[in-house]
Amino acid sequence: MDFQGIYDCLKAGNAPGMIEADEPRQPNPEVKKDKGRFGEPFLLIEASAVCPFMAHCRDDERLGFELLADLSAADPSTDSDELWVLYQLLSVKHHHRLMVKAKIPKDDAKIDTVAGIYRAAQWHERECAEMFGITFNGHPDPRNMLLPDDWEGYPLRKDYEFPEEYHGISCV
Amino acid sequence: MPILQNAFEENLLTTKVDWLLNWAKLNSVWPMTFGLACCAIEMMAVGAAHHDLDRFGAGAFRATPRQADLMIVAGTVNFKMAERIKRLYDQMPNPKYVIAMGACATGGGPYFKYGYTVVKGVDRVVPVDVYIAGCPPRPEALLEGLMALQRKIRRTAVIRKPAITA
Repeated sequence: MDFQGIYDCLKAGNAPGMIEADEPRQPNPEVKKDKGRFGEPFLLIEASAVCPFMAHCRDDERLGFELLADLSAADPSTDSDELWVLYQLLSVKHHHRLMVKAKIPKDDAKIDTVAGIYRAAQWHERECAEMFGITFNGHPDPRNMLLPDDWEGYPLRKDYEFPEEYHGISCV
Repeated sequence: MPILQNAFEENLLTTKVDWLLNWAKLNSVWPMTFGLACCAIEMMAVGAAHHDLDRFGAGAFRATPRQADLMIVAGTVNFKMAERIKRLYDQMPNPKYVIAMGACATGGGPYFKYGYTVVKGVDRVVPVDVYIAGCPPRPEALLEGLMALQRKIRRTAVIRKPAITA
C-alpha cells in the first residue's frame, strides 16, 4: 500500500488519535515565498493516543506493521515550544512503511511509552529521554543509554549549553 | 676500551648500563590492546602482516595494563571513557608511554566544536609522549610515531644524567 492507501485504511478502521496527514507538495507559484515541502509523507497523531494508535497499527490485518524500525525525536527550532517524537513503522509482510509524528510541549515533555507494544522501542526511548529530556511514562528501564549517569542537560535540545567541565576535565 | 681489550675471555661484551637499559626498553615497547574508534582499525593494520609492528618489538599487544608499556589512544575519547583511560594508565607499570593517535585523541578532531561529550585531547587526562596527526593516520604514520617514541626512550638516562647543552 502507498501512503494514501494506509491513510484510508486507518480512517476506515477508526484508528484512535489521528489528526492529519501531511504530504510533500510542489511550491505554489501564486503564494509568495512558498517553498512547498520535500521529504516523506507523515501522519500526525495525538500524543495522548500514541499507545492505542500503535496497537491498532500492529494488530490491524491490512496494515500489519509488525516492526518499529525507528523511534526518534527532534527539536525543530528555538522559537518553537514543542518537541516532535517520530515513529517509523514497517510492515515486512505487506512491504510498506509509515512515518508517524506526535508533538509534545517542550516545558512538559511527557509521552506514553510504546515499549509494551514494540519492545524494540526500549533503547530508542532511553536515548530520546537523555538527549531531549522527554519522559516516557511507564518505561520499564528508564536509565541513561549513552551518557554518563550524572550528566546534566539534554544535548540535542536547541537551547543546550555546553558544560564548563566534567569531573575535573575541562570541556572548552 | 683499550684497558679492557683482551682482558677477558671471548663472549663478553662491555657496554654502558644506560645504553643497555634503553636498548632493552625501546625494543620491547609492548602496547595495550585498546582501541576506541576508527583509528583502532589502522592500528590493527599496523599490527598485521603487511606493516608488521613486530619489526620494532612492539607487536605484542597485551590484554592487561599490568603487562603493557605503551598506551596507543587510537580514537575519540569521550568523558565517559576518559575516567577509564585514566584508571588504565594508573594501572600500567613504570616506565609507561602514551601515543595520542589521530586528530580526536590529539585535540578533539572533528568533534572539537559540537561534540558535547568529546574530550578535547587525551592530554587533558593523561600525559602524552607522541602525537600523530591524521584522520585516521596512515599505518606508516603510526610506525613513524613509534620510532619517534623509540628515539625519545633512547635519550633517557637512569644512571647518568644527560649533559646540558648550551
